[in-house]
Parts: sequence; C-alpha cells; structure tokens
Amino acid sequence: MRLLFGLLLAAIPLAAHIGSPDIFYEGKAGPYRLLVTIRPPQVVPGVAEIEIRCASPEARKMEIVPLRLGGQDRQFAPKADVAQPSREDPQFYTGSLWLMAAGSWQVRVDVSGDLGSGRLSVPVPAISSRTLTMQRTMAAILLPLALVLCLGLISIVGASVREGQLEPGGLPDAVRRRRSRYAMAGATLVAAGALFLGNLWWNSEAGWYRRYVFKPIELRGTVESGSRLMLRLSDPGWLNRSLDDLIPDHNHLMHLYMIRLPQMDVVRHLHPEQMEAGLFEQDLPSLPSGRYVLFGDIVHRNGLPETVTAEVEAPTIEGRAPTGDDSGGSAPPLAQADYNRIVFPLSDGYRMVWQRPAPPLLAGRAMLFRFRLEDEAGRPASGMELYMGMAGHAAFVGTDRSVFAHVHPSGSAPMAALSLAGNDNPHAGHAMMAAGIPAEVSFPYGFPKSGKYRIFVQVKRAGRVETGVFDAPVEN
Amino acid sequence: MATTVRYSPAVSSLESPAPIPWHIWCSALAVTLAAVGTHWDISWHRTIGRDTFWTPAHICIHLCGILAGVSSAWLILSTTLRPDSPLRNASVRMWGFRGPLGAFILAWGGLAMITSAPFDDWWHNAYGLDVKILSPPHMVLAAGVIAVEVGALILALGAMNRASGVEQRRLNWLFLYIGGLQVVLFMVLEMELTFRSFMHQAHFYRVVATAVPLVLAGIARASKMRWSATIVAGIYTVFLAATGWILPLFPGEPKLGPVYHPMTHFMPPEFPLLLIAPAFALDLLWQHRGKWNDWLLAAASGAIFLGAFAAAQWPFANFLMSPAARNWFFGTHYFSYAQLPTSRYARYLFAPTETGGELLKETLLAFAVATVAVRLGLAWGNWMQRIRR
Repeated sequence: MRLLFGLLLAAIPLAAHIGSPDIFYEGKAGPYRLLVTIRPPQVVPGVAEIEIRCASPEARKMEIVPLRLGGQDRQFAPKADVAQPSREDPQFYTGSLWLMAAGSWQVRVDVSGDLGSGRLSVPVPAISSRTLTMQRTMAAILLPLALVLCLGLISIVGASVREGQLEPGGLPDAVRRRRSRYAMAGATLVAAGALFLGNLWWNSEAGWYRRYVFKPIELRGTVESGSRLMLRLSDPGWLNRSLDDLIPDHNHLMHLYMIRLPQMDVVRHLHPEQMEAGLFEQDLPSLPSGRYVLFGDIVHRNGLPETVTAEVEAPTIEGRAPTGDDSGGSAPPLAQADYNRIVFPLSDGYRMVWQRPAPPLLAGRAMLFRFRLEDEAGRPASGMELYMGMAGHAAFVGTDRSVFAHVHPSGSAPMAALSLAGNDNPHAGHAMMAAGIPAEVSFPYGFPKSGKYRIFVQVKRAGRVETGVFDAPVEN
Repeated sequence: MATTVRYSPAVSSLESPAPIPWHIWCSALAVTLAAVGTHWDISWHRTIGRDTFWTPAHICIHLCGILAGVSSAWLILSTTLRPDSPLRNASVRMWGFRGPLGAFILAWGGLAMITSAPFDDWWHNAYGLDVKILSPPHMVLAAGVIAVEVGALILALGAMNRASGVEQRRLNWLFLYIGGLQVVLFMVLEMELTFRSFMHQAHFYRVVATAVPLVLAGIARASKMRWSATIVAGIYTVFLAATGWILPLFPGEPKLGPVYHPMTHFMPPEFPLLLIAPAFALDLLWQHRGKWNDWLLAAASGAIFLGAFAAAQWPFANFLMSPAARNWFFGTHYFSYAQLPTSRYARYLFAPTETGGELLKETLLAFAVATVAVRLGLAWGNWMQRIRR
C-alpha cells in the first residue's frame, strides 16, 4: 500500500509570485469599488475561496462565476453563485467556486444594488502546486480498516465454503473444513492480488497527477563580459506552456527584481530583452558586487503569470545609470532593519511614509498597503507620474526568500492577464489620473504566512523613480 | 458428509407462511438506496456538475452502507448472543460470531462503503476533486455496493432455500428484485460504453455481454420461478424507465461551465436497453434445454443472448435516433450541460459500425464473452442453489 506518513508539501514555487498564491485585486465594478481576494486551490480540480469587500453599502447582490481566461466560453457560463454577505459585516461577501482544470481562469463578479449594476473579472491561475502524502492520522484510520476488510473477505469465503451449504443444524465435516482452508488460501491470493493491482493503479494515478503539478520554468543567470546579465530559461515541461509564448506586461516581456543577498540592501527593477525564446539579456546598471537573488515575472499567452527565480554573482559595476523603465534603490541591511520604521528618506529631502495600520500585521488578511510621498515640509509631493502606466509598483519579499510578490495598485494580477479577462483597459484609470497623479498609492495584498518581510515600493516623481523600503513583521 | 446435531423448526416453514424477516427487507432497501443514489448522483453531475459530500445523492448511497452495516451487525450480534435465535442453526461462524452468511457479506459491504468515504475525501485533497468515475476510492465504494448486493441476494436466498410454499415464493420475488437491481448497477459501470451512439457497433454488444448474461444466468439458475430472467430484466427496465421519467421532474441548473446545453431540470439516464428480449429468449431456452451440459448450454445461451439482443436493440437504436423518440417517454432530447454540440451523441449520429476483420473479431469476442459469462453465471447459480445459511 502506498501509505506514506507525514504531510510533505513540496516546496514548489507558485506560478504567479513565489509562495504567495492568493490573488488580490482592487477595482471598480461599475459604481462599486471592490477589494477581491481569491484563494485558489492547491490541487486542481479544486475549490477556490472568494472574499469580496465592497466599499459601498448600496450593493445588494454579489454574483461570482468562473470562466476560462481568454477563452470563448463566456457565452457558455454556468449559473453564477451568489456570494453571501457576512452577518457581522454586510459589506464583506464570501463564496467558493470550482476550478475544474489547470491553467488560466478568471472569476467574474457581477454586482447589483441601489447604484445600478457593474462587473469586473479577476484572473486566477489554477495550478496544482503540491504533492500530498497520507497523514499519519488518516493512515491510522485506513490501514486497520483495510486490514479488517482483507481478513474479513478471506474469512467470509472460508465460512461460505465450510458452512454456507450445510442444512440448518449441521456441522461441517473434515472435507468441508479442508475445502474451506483451500478457499481461504485462494481468497488470500485474490486479496493480495487486489492489493497489488490496486497499488499499481494508485501509483499510476499519482504519476498521472504529478504530470499536472506545476513545474516552474527554470532560470539560470550569469554575468558575462563584466556587466551583461544573461538569463537562460529552460522549460521542464508542464501542460502546454512554453518559452516562446510570452506576452508583454507594461510593454516588457520580463520584469526582473534583483535583490542583493543576504542583507537585501540593494534592489534593481530591470527589464531584460528577449533575444530568442528562452534567452533574455540586460546590460546591468551600476551595482555593488555581491550575490543577488533574481525574481523575474513573465506572462504566458493564455494569461498565466509565472515568476522565475535564480541567484547570480555580480561584480561591481559603476558609472551606468538605469535607463528606460529600469530603476533601483538601496536600504539599510536586514541586520539593521527597524520594524517600527514607517518613514523612508528619499532624494532631495523627500520621503515615503507608510500609513501602516496598528500592529500586529496578520498573515492571510487582505488589506491595502498605503504609501504617501511627501516633500521636505511634509506636504503631499507634487509632480507625480505614472511608472510603467501605474501609480506605483511594490514587491513584498520574505526575508527568508520563500515569498515574493510583485503587486500593483490594482492588485497582484498582471495587467496582461487583466486585459485578457476583458476588463476595461486597466491603464485607463491611471491614464486619466496622469494629469494629476496623487501622492498616495495603495496596494491590495495579504501576507501568506507569518515571518519577516521587506517591502520595496516604487513611484515616479519628476522623471525619477523613487524606491522606498520598509520592513514588516507578520504574525499568525 | 455433514453431521446433523439438531434441527430448529423455527427456520422451516412447514406451517403458515411466515412474514419476510425485517433484515431481508433492510438489505433489499439498502440495495434500492444504492441504485437510486447512484443514478441520482450521476444525474447530479450531468446536470449541476459539482457537488459536496453532503448532496442528497451521496447521502442516499452512504445510507445504503449504513443500513447494510447496522442491520447486519444487529443480526449477527443477536444471532451470536441469543441462544434462542431462530437463525442460530442456520448461521455460519466467523471470528467468534454467528449469523447468516449474507449478513457477514452485507457487513463487509457496509464497512467497505464507510471506509471509502474518508479515503475518497483524502483522495480529493491529494489529487483533486472528481474528474473520473474510476478511481481507487470509488472502486472501494463500488466493491462495497457489490458486496451489499451479493449479501442481500445470499440473505434472501438462504431464507428462500430453507422455505417452501408461499413464503418461498415471496422470498423468490424479493430475490429477483435484488437481481434486477444488480443488473441496474452493473449497467452503471458500463454506462460510458453503452450510450446510444454505440448501439450499431459490435463492441457495444460485447460490453453488454460481459455482465448481463452472468447475472441473468446466475439468478435464473438459483431461482425457483420459470421466467426469472425475464422478470429480472423487467425490473431493470421498470427501474431505469421510472428513474428516467422522475428525475426530469426536479429542477436543477449547471454550476460548472462551459454550459453547452442550458438545463432547468435533472438529466435522466438513457432509456433502458431492451434486455427483456434476450432475457425472454434465454428463459425459453433454459426451460426447454436446461438439462444440457452447462458448457453447451452456455454456448447456446451466449449465441441466443447476442442474437435476440441485437435483433431488438439495433432497430430500436434507429428509433432512438429519430425525432419520434425526442419526448419525455424516451428522453432522447435531454443532454448534459457539458455535452459537446459537435459530438455524435448530440447530433444523433451513430459511431461507425466496424467492418471486415474488425467486425468479425468483435462479434466472435462478444460470443466468447457471452458464453463465458453465462457459464460463470450458471456455476454461480448452482452454488447459490445449495446455499442454506
């Protein structure tokens, strides 16, 4: 029997981000502003848990339905589920949806109420991300039952041959007893054969399942010719994903965060160019030497986001300012992290302020992380600009590097996937703001687990990308 | 030779007919719950698509296991602990307990069904929610259901073989009823291979020949009534047709997509196969040539089963594909929400009939399978004829 003890969750990076599978999205469904959290299943087919907070008390009904992302099945949508409002908080709705196949999905939310009706869609990657072996308690229940069933089967066969055909009151003679023993021996062989074949079948099913467990694209990074970052991707094979099916997100095929180890005191946000399928290159900007961890966000044609990761040793590079959309910053080493600090100094006397809620920060709870740029007099900064079409970018990184999430003001879903979901142009709102971008930016996100995190927040002001860095302890 | 030490008149029916014991009713009810629950559950998946452990259909199926397990456990305990139990002399011994053989089989079936529940739940957590019928935990459940069926048959049979007159006839009817539901449940296992699009393929007849002749031969051989196979096939027909007429009366809507066929009510099973035709032919054969050597009888029965079944089902399939069958009675206008509109099934088209060597091979295989199935059924029936406990 393939009964393995202990729960072993394979440390497999999740497609979108690393170790942070939940989807957070803030947006408008018509007149209603929603904060949507989707907790996808770890095994597919499985059930996704949906949480929606509506900023407006006028909403009356919240309907949710799963659809394939970018597919033609919108016209074939099933009957929507009605998300249920919380008794304690009627503006907080919950529901659950089945995601039946691995790949790229969307959850469509339809809201109706006193202000009219509205709709938005949130992309969700549905991915089997774990291999579960049998827990000790479950094995302790099933093994004795299996044993009783096997022994019971053998004994029933023996009893039927020994006594089943005896007239009432008769006792079995030696011949029947002997036949009974033969029959029990035969039944033992049958039971053993059934267990053996069952085990083969189980292994076959487990092998079939393993093919569907997400296998991330592998990344190998090197610095060549002194400052040329070479990123070589290789596909271990998983479903129909490939290296040549990437689509641009904010005009770039890859968004790469490069963070120096182990102190996380230097960060670069880069955008390597794809030279051919599976090969990205980038001339590195100025950089202190050291070992860096790389987190590269890419999006496949079907809207499936993926984060590739590796480590690379880099030499000191000087005299090269970041160009284009590339940017970077620095922070105090982790060893000197101040977990109470909410102000981060920027250039020219400016500063970034984290409007941090009262501690503690709790894992698994969706919230808005608000940051404000102030001038040296403490006034909201002017001259704010869009950075790659967004009011800001944030990276939430676990100090043990088990978590990485690149989040936008709209949430953790990439813009390319949001476009495929059929939402209105996700940049439209920001473009409308372009004339007057506020000095405050917020990011919907929830920490996946307890631990210490470093948050890199980037906004653009007066043609310059500013990077604020904050540290956060998170509790369960 | 068995040595008789005592004989309890309580297990005989030399006097006025005794009522059918409660535990036999319980076992028949358990089998009914399994048959109803299984078809309800299939309909649920074809209509709504998704489910939980606590759907009425699942509860119905697991009630079968609970009823079988609890009633047989009570029977075994009362037979073991009560020295004056009327079944004590007509019981078998196992692990220090005493009880009718069928009760032990029922208890095993109930335990297997109950075991399948946590196993299936773990399976879903490990490998995902149901995407296939055939999975190890589902097979544990199926083994439990089959054991409940067999246990119910043996329980009724033991009493029937010890009884006589009116009591025996009543028990015989119950025995045939359980046999009919056994055909229903075996056909569930073959459901995906027996849709109407396949009815003009020899393969379809081979599939049906794997299980149905076995049950018909076994039940008819063990039964003491003349038209047993016909009655068993009739019970299958009535059960399935009634299920097909009742399920669409209840509202249901797809909760999974893509929804190619909007549905407002539960999806019924297909109209029953015309198994009654070969069953009638087999009854005629067995009434007139029942004394033949069992292998010769099996070969003749296999040929007659296939011939009579094909003669009835093949033209009936043409009718099922026609617009005349698209009504509540025959139900060919119902489609599952997930049925591809481009599929043969949705377009009322047959899968191509095999030709040449393939047709010959499938036909010969069907004959061989039917012959072996009948022979196994006769052996099973011979064994059941002698069951006394």
